[in-house]
Amino acid sequence: MIEIFRSIFAPPRDIILLLAALWMGLALAEKRAGRYGLSRDAINNIVYYALFGYILGGRLLYALANYSVFSQSPLSIFSLNLDLFDPAAAFIVAVIVGVVYGSRQKFTLWPTLDALTPFFAMMAIGLHLSHLAAGTAFGSPTAFPWGIDLWNATRHPTQIYELVAAVLILGLIWFRRSDSPAGSDFLLFSGLTAGARLFLEAFRGDSTLIFGGVRLAQLMAWAVLAVAFFVTEMIQPQKSN
Amino acid sequence: MQQPQRRMVYFLVLALGLAWVLVSADRSGASTFGQIPAPQQDFLAPDFELKTPAGEMIRLSALRGQAVLINLWATWCPPCRAEMQSIEKMYQEYKDEGFTVLAVNMTYQDDPLAVMPFVHEQGLSFPILLDETAEMANAYQLRSLPSSYFIRRDGVINEVVIGGPMSEALLRTRIEDILK
Repeated sequence: MIEIFRSIFAPPRDIILLLAALWMGLALAEKRAGRYGLSRDAINNIVYYALFGYILGGRLLYALANYSVFSQSPLSIFSLNLDLFDPAAAFIVAVIVGVVYGSRQKFTLWPTLDALTPFFAMMAIGLHLSHLAAGTAFGSPTAFPWGIDLWNATRHPTQIYELVAAVLILGLIWFRRSDSPAGSDFLLFSGLTAGARLFLEAFRGDSTLIFGGVRLAQLMAWAVLAVAFFVTEMIQPQKSN
Repeated sequence: MQQPQRRMVYFLVLALGLAWVLVSADRSGASTFGQIPAPQQDFLAPDFELKTPAGEMIRLSALRGQAVLINLWATWCPPCRAEMQSIEKMYQEYKDEGFTVLAVNMTYQDDPLAVMPFVHEQGLSFPILLDETAEMANAYQLRSLPSSYFIRRDGVINEVVIGGPMSEALLRTRIEDILK
């Protein structure tokens, strides 16, 4: 079953999974936009502007970082190669574009992030599906019976662990009550996603290790979790005595 | 939940999280990077020995110490054909720095008689290998053509690029990485 899935969506076709997640995530966010005082158009615009920033920023910053190479073949900046791209820089540009667009349109921060949370949660699902198809984000070797054969070893199916966690998180966000303070949905999503990563990273076989074998992604997830708790506490309504 | 209870829960979760980070630390360096052969980034490139159209045998492990681009291709595959000139240009530019190309034709799914005319027509000077039995395709779990593997001097795969055609800029950035 997993093999068939991997054959169908092997790279570069795994991008279909991300595009499907984008489309479904946008549809979910549109459906919920009214609850947070936003229009469907507002949700669409902020996502498409950020996406535009992601694509353009990722390519331009990659070209800048490899200036000597692109100066020899400047037309490569228009190349269809998806690998000529800096995903981290693209993400930062997308966030900046989203924030600038949101401020210009006078969107309030927390309701906008809450409205976009189903979109983020669906993108997380798409990302884990894409990892499963590409065989990336793979697990460490295991003797457990549910291990999958990948890269010449039986490994923890970490892509499936993370996929299940992402589906549960989306379900929790989608079906929770709507009487929480503004920002709760986004902070709950951030906290749960960070918590899942903190726990599941331990089973990964491709972790970046720092001092004492500590996994960098776990430390980052712990920090995100701490910030999510702190901000959740800040947005709680103050009870008067 | 009241504020003091909530804060206690946060504190407990963060303490448990920190404990988990330390307990699950990979002290043995159990990462499989560079040890197990697999056609994936940061793994040892699976070894193979294939013959050229002239009958000469070439083994990947014999090229240890050189940066290698393995390109899996077929004559019927348009993006494979389209990227050959860029690969040839990069080969000429970087071969003196210890870079080589192994262009492995998927002969088992190609027309064997079309291979050499294509090579001559394109003026390719790097080694062409023939995978007549799908040995290489199986070892590299081939799913799409072209597939390219950029291998460092220590024999570890630095990057896998699936699909094409690869532009000169893409080739140049990846080759400069593996030559470091």
